[in-house]
Amino acid sequence: MPWLRRILVPLAVVVIAAALGTFVIGRARVTASSTAMQNPGLRLTAASRLTSRGLIAAGRTLYTQTCSTCHGGDAQGSALGTDLQGLGGAAVDLWLTTGWMPLRTPGLQPANKPVNLTTAQINEIVAYVVSIKPGGVPVPTNISLKGASASEGFYMFSLNCAPCHTITGAGDALAEGFRAPSLHSVTPTQVLEAIRTGPSNMPRFGPGDISPKEALDVALYVTKYIKHPADIGGIGLGGVGPVAEGFVGLFVGVGVCLLAAYWVGDRTARGDGEAHGEGGEDESDHEGDAPAAGVDDRSYSETTSDTADA
Amino acid sequence: MSGPTGDTHGEPTPVTVRLDADQFKVAAANPRQMERTVAATFLLGLAGFVGFGAAYWVNASNAWLGVSLGAGFVGLGFGMVAWGKYLMPRGPFSESRHSMVPTKAEKARIISDFSSRGKVVVERRGFLVKILGAAGAVFGVVAMFPLIRSLGPLPKHFSEATHWHKDSYLVNVNGERVHKDDLEYGGVLTVFPEGDVGGALSQTTLVRQLPPKGEVNIVTAPGRETWSPLGYMAFSRVCTHAGCPVALYQELTHQLLCPCHQSLFDIGPGAAAQPVFGPAPRPLPQLPLYIDAQGYLRAQAPFDQPVGPSFWWRRD
Amino acid sequence: MIDGLYDWIDDRLNISGGGRKMVNKIFPDHWSFMIGEIALYSFVVLLATGVFLTLYFVPSSTDVVYHGPYIPLDGVHMSEAYLSTINLSFSVRCGLLMRQMHHWAANIFIGAIVVHMCRVFFTGGFRRPRELNWIIGINMLIFAIFNGFLGYSLPDDLVSGTGIRISYSILESLPLVGPYLANLLFGGAFPGNALIPRFFIIHVLILPALIAGLLGAHLTLLVRQKHTQFKGPGATEHNVVGAPMWPTFMAKTQGFLFLIAGITALLGAAVQINPIWLYGPYKPYLATYAVQPDWYMGWLDGALRVMPHWQTVIGGRVIIPNVFWPAVVLPGVTFTVLMMWPFIEQKITGDRADHQLLERPRDRPKRTALGAAVLSFYFVLFGASATDVLANYLNVSLNIVLTTFQVLVFVVPLATYPVALRICREFQATPGAGKTKRHNIVIRSADGGYSTVPTEARPGDTLRELEPVALDASIYLPALVGSPSYEPVDRAGIGARAAAGGTYEAVSVDDEAEGAEGDQGLAAATTGAEGGGRARSRVFRIPRNYRGG
Repeated sequence: MPWLRRILVPLAVVVIAAALGTFVIGRARVTASSTAMQNPGLRLTAASRLTSRGLIAAGRTLYTQTCSTCHGGDAQGSALGTDLQGLGGAAVDLWLTTGWMPLRTPGLQPANKPVNLTTAQINEIVAYVVSIKPGGVPVPTNISLKGASASEGFYMFSLNCAPCHTITGAGDALAEGFRAPSLHSVTPTQVLEAIRTGPSNMPRFGPGDISPKEALDVALYVTKYIKHPADIGGIGLGGVGPVAEGFVGLFVGVGVCLLAAYWVGDRTARGDGEAHGEGGEDESDHEGDAPAAGVDDRSYSETTSDTADA
Repeated sequence: MSGPTGDTHGEPTPVTVRLDADQFKVAAANPRQMERTVAATFLLGLAGFVGFGAAYWVNASNAWLGVSLGAGFVGLGFGMVAWGKYLMPRGPFSESRHSMVPTKAEKARIISDFSSRGKVVVERRGFLVKILGAAGAVFGVVAMFPLIRSLGPLPKHFSEATHWHKDSYLVNVNGERVHKDDLEYGGVLTVFPEGDVGGALSQTTLVRQLPPKGEVNIVTAPGRETWSPLGYMAFSRVCTHAGCPVALYQELTHQLLCPCHQSLFDIGPGAAAQPVFGPAPRPLPQLPLYIDAQGYLRAQAPFDQPVGPSFWWRRD
Repeated sequence: MIDGLYDWIDDRLNISGGGRKMVNKIFPDHWSFMIGEIALYSFVVLLATGVFLTLYFVPSSTDVVYHGPYIPLDGVHMSEAYLSTINLSFSVRCGLLMRQMHHWAANIFIGAIVVHMCRVFFTGGFRRPRELNWIIGINMLIFAIFNGFLGYSLPDDLVSGTGIRISYSILESLPLVGPYLANLLFGGAFPGNALIPRFFIIHVLILPALIAGLLGAHLTLLVRQKHTQFKGPGATEHNVVGAPMWPTFMAKTQGFLFLIAGITALLGAAVQINPIWLYGPYKPYLATYAVQPDWYMGWLDGALRVMPHWQTVIGGRVIIPNVFWPAVVLPGVTFTVLMMWPFIEQKITGDRADHQLLERPRDRPKRTALGAAVLSFYFVLFGASATDVLANYLNVSLNIVLTTFQVLVFVVPLATYPVALRICREFQATPGAGKTKRHNIVIRSADGGYSTVPTEARPGDTLRELEPVALDASIYLPALVGSPSYEPVDRAGIGARAAAGGTYEAVSVDDEAEGAEGDQGLAAATTGAEGGGRARSRVFRIPRNYRGG
């Protein structure tokens, strides 16, 4: 079935290309959506929480149920989990709101997961852990991105964040199994918490490094322009740049051009509904070079006549 | 030329083809219908171009512009191809090929024309040819070397290429001097020598690590006992592989990663940025630091070796 | 009016003489022969869109401050090159479309060149007498890759700037002359001050002129040597079977130009490419992860990644830096071997004859397998340029991915060769593979023997391909007009006469006899007929199942 093969081969190429493309883009989407987290929104100030004994008591119960196995009864840490005493609210809040905690497998690289706790429950646990031993970086409060500058944020982002998270915030694999996660769905609070606490393998950027104003700028850039990139040119391809572009260029661009070439260049295909014979090249299966005489399956007859008379 | 295929029969054999032969028929089964199809696609193309004009006029988005322009081209293209493919004689037609190999006589003629004429007319004044050749050669030399030479300066000695000097202040991208309290443990900062902010070769990564218990400095290598005061370590940011900024600091594992080809440099305790993974062949040069009386970070000395990728005759 | 103009020119240049040959020129029909035209026409698109871009692009490294519609860059210092590209994307009407079409066309251009090269390689189209055209083609590929890289670099954005940094290091890695060359080209130590203007003039003038010149040579040689063709009905070593330049091929190829332009425009409309505003301006100390070059440089980037950390040091001095091997030696060897391949193959096979007929890949299993193995090698390298992206998406450690590629780069080609060889041999051994199958009837004879007889061809089984007709303009048009299948004709006129008496007959002669006077077909035919007395002629019968016309 040569005509079938002729259709199937390019078709298969396109299907495989499309499947791979969907896979790549789909992975990008999945990564993005799996990082989708509930916006914890603004919380009570640390001070008011600390004074709220009920909050701490509720937090202790939750902590004992969900955290103490690894981090110890008084957050003093164990072989399975780190010491949380004096760590500060920001770190606890970040690891809970991202769904990193509880870790699926004890290790260094957390993975984004759906969050099982409500915002209120997270606040309670944060309040409890902070109440054990004060110190560390508090949960940022009263975040206002009104006066923040997107261009300053972009610059600080490209200087400090893009090296790992990529300039489009798509995230990428670091060495030895670590990854810089995608930033497409983080909240301003999480941006600030991550900058100050340096979760997992990320460095910590103190106020002497990224000033509070600059941190807000970065938060604005991430939550506004990374989350909603200005894809004015069409499909954004997940922000992974030339890899995806080359893929599209080769398999879609050249692929469609090849399909067009196939249609343009093939003379024998006809729209008359019959099964078509192959074009010229299949004739090479015939041994011998006499182009016409040896071919039996063609509808012409060969006669001789005296053209001198004509 | 007599080919190996043997389809020649010696005699010229005229082939008569009757005018109602299939070759002269159009390929379309239904030419009228095909005409309509072609006309429709031409009209689509026309509409596309009109749409493109309109989209341009109203300053429409990229998508509208591109789709209308694309529809215009695709419409015309589809129609033209269909016209050629289905509404013109289907053929096939043939023309004969001729060998590209010249005959002996042809060869002989040009050789005699060229070389014998050349011998007589040109070679008898051989000294003119020689002078001409000498002038051409001299022109080639002066054109190549001085002109190319003026394209750019010659490479300086590479340790002079960075602007780090003894006692240089470390400044951040805004030109502000870095104080010993600026970085927390686990922090990272891009620094430059004062006066060369943004310098491509001077750029340096400053990280701060918690020194081992009971110590103030971090010792990355023997002989570098004082280079990393209060846990501040500075390494050239230019990768020793292909020169990309080694800007990815994996804080927990104390590693610097290059974004381009994933060379991994170990800056953990006792490690002086040795490459542990990837194609980089050499460690990142370390900048010896000290903290002055005001608490500012300064360089004890410039880098002790050229920064950046390897090049010919560089000391290893 | 047009007649008058034509006459005016013709009287001075005699176009009619040689021009008729072009009008009648036959182009063989096979879809794979259109691949080169994809490259040709995407080059046309590149030129057209590129001219538009030069009207707005400012090739300057001068530091300027942006104020415009894209807020995250407002007030940011950047080079004039980057700023003008941002303006092209945001402020110039249709500018973004032209940019995106230009970039997509570049990706398609080089892709089509590579596919075209594969077609020529696997079908043996590079064999004598076309070695020269093969070499020209390889050089165009090299220039196209260089020019693509330069064009990618010109916007001076963060991603491409990193690529330029690497290219500086590659230049610097050349033994002996490297540091000097790098300094001269860049006008000093990286980043230099001359980069953008120089890259610009190379990108828009020098390399396009070289490519255009080589393209002219490529097509001139194609016309002079005539296109190769596959063996087929009537297609031999001594003729070209296909469609005439005017009007059939002209219509199809012009339509194809529009199709390529249309596909590029649709891609430019639908899929964003190189959104430099998201990347920000290049500063030597800024970095972003997931930096890759455009796909055609991907294999080099992949080679840089999989190369182990070796460098040659003699007496405490670096002699050959690490990047020299993957980034200079590898492409050098690649393109040298590619260019020499026709001669290498001649050496191996001893076949130095002229070849006008192409081979099917299966009929040259070793060449095909070798080509497939080499291709797979570069394909693996290409994949290796995305180790980080793959590691991220597959959720595997980067180290494992890289090590895997270091193994695959040797294993895959070694595995590809025998597999491809086997497939070719299988195809060869299968009679009629790729052809319409017919049932066989097994017949038992009286003495107990068996024989098989193929069934009668059904209408659908038969080849639709007809015997080629030698084309001569003097008979072509009347014959066309006279053809009863051609609708808009004056049937009472020429057609009727033709039908009645066969006054107009298409006359062809066999190619052998035609010799050097081939373009005087009719004359030769007459002479031949007279001289040879009784000669064969073929009268084509309309097949019964033919419903055309």
